[in-house]
Amino acid sequence: MELTDADLLARVLVDGDQHAFGELVRRHQSPVRGLLRQLVRADVELADDLAQETFIRAYKHIRSFRGESKFSTWLYRIAYNIFREHARKRKELVGIDEEQLQAKADPQTVDPGLRHDLMNALAGLPLHERTAVTLCCQNGLSHDEAARVLDIPLGTVKTNVLRGREKLKKILADWAT
Amino acid sequence: MNDPLDDLLDARLRDEAPYIDDAGFTTRVMKQLPRRRLSWNKQRAVVIFVATIVSVVVAYFASGEGMFVHDAFARISGLQPLQLFLVIVACGITMTIAGLWAALTRRHETMI
Repeated sequence: MELTDADLLARVLVDGDQHAFGELVRRHQSPVRGLLRQLVRADVELADDLAQETFIRAYKHIRSFRGESKFSTWLYRIAYNIFREHARKRKELVGIDEEQLQAKADPQTVDPGLRHDLMNALAGLPLHERTAVTLCCQNGLSHDEAARVLDIPLGTVKTNVLRGREKLKKILADWAT
Repeated sequence: MNDPLDDLLDARLRDEAPYIDDAGFTTRVMKQLPRRRLSWNKQRAVVIFVATIVSVVVAYFASGEGMFVHDAFARISGLQPLQLFLVIVACGITMTIAGLWAALTRRHETMI
């Protein structure tokens, strides 16, 4: 029988079992790396560096996980905080940089396929909308969980998801006509 | 009723989040983890082991380099065969009781 996340966490906490933590990393690496790839706009190496930092920080602070949310939600929160620290250092959160990157990722000019159009459109969304859409629509978090990950009000998450989705739907609608 | 475009978008977004192959990622993370500290059970075992070794060494030198062992053997060799038999039986029973007690205590801990 496969062990649950809670079983593995108990082994890490009680026995200091690093193999159990390794299993947790193996289970959650894909969504965490996927989220960070969306946040850093497909810079795979940077996303993986940040993902590594995420898991190392999670291990160091594992005792602060109180089980009030899912382990994956807790990991997303750490990943998002690490991304924000990184972005702050590189001043990527400054509005003008966002606009420049948005222009660079114009879906009309990059790739003719719907798949790429949609992904480019997602990458072209402003950071707050992109993050909310990725968490809620791709990673399957509820609005409430996403609000906790992003540390913003629930209403703001809903608005960001709605706005992001409207922009993506426009891409789909263009393809449908 | 849901907008069909909403359903299509949800399906597309889910499909476009492919599984990212581990490709050595977990191994790299594990190599960078800080060295783990011993768990309480292991720390306790180490403390007991070290304390035992220290006690034996102290007892050895404090007793004139183990002369008490020599004296004990000398006394035992002077016992009558029946007395020697009784001493051996008493030692055996004591060891059996101690072993049983240790085993039962261990089982109790595991069950908790």
